[in-house]
Amino acid sequence: MRVEGSPFEEAAFFRAVAASGARALLIGRRALVALGIPVLTVDYDFWLHIDDIARFNTAIEPMGLYPTHAPEEARARGRYVAENDERVDVLVARSVPTVDGIHVAFDELWSRRRGLEVAAGVVLAVPALPDLILTKRFGGRPKDFEDIRLLEALRREEGQ
Amino acid sequence: MKPLDTPSPAAVARVHALSERRLSAEEARAALAVPLGEAEEQETRSLIRWFRRRYPTPAARLAYARRAYRRWASARPITRGSDSDAR
Repeated sequence: MRVEGSPFEEAAFFRAVAASGARALLIGRRALVALGIPVLTVDYDFWLHIDDIARFNTAIEPMGLYPTHAPEEARARGRYVAENDERVDVLVARSVPTVDGIHVAFDELWSRRRGLEVAAGVVLAVPALPDLILTKRFGGRPKDFEDIRLLEALRREEGQ
Repeated sequence: MKPLDTPSPAAVARVHALSERRLSAEEARAALAVPLGEAEEQETRSLIRWFRRRYPTPAARLAYARRAYRRWASARPITRGSDSDAR
């Protein structure tokens, strides 16, 4: 659903997220693109620390990105969306199981995160490559496994 | 040249269901066990090298992705609500 027709400034969005101090990991295909894999993508996907929902929402609301659920509801559901012309999918859970039964903890991924300069002077956190691959196993859709194959190729390209 | 026929809503729904289907644990393990073939590996890594050369910073790559999506969205006949293939 498109609520507003305001122009979206990606750099300003990333700057607001980075400046908020929220522990937010950019995941999903947008992270693949930032790392160097040219795939088509629509949304922004973040995995957010469960205690940082309000901080994150406060940062992005000036861009017209309004959350579909209040923080308490979001915590109970494990995810929510913030959107206007853009859509931001936000995962909020201390740990998430992969489709094949591995429990992946946010805190562990956060401790191994890498920073990417996604706009001038703006550094966002993304999971380390092996961890990003694990997050692709949350959804368990066929295209997620295609993305995993691309990420594995990137990993070899980087000599990891 | 004959223009492409717009897919029917039923066909779009079918493709959507297939692409959004969640694999079973067994199917997931099977998918993970299949490595890229040699040719596909080389092609993929070549594409990654090209993309990183052409767009040397994460910011440039993200800007490219937004332009590419806009081009794709403006050229396709179906609505955004069914574009899960891009997600």
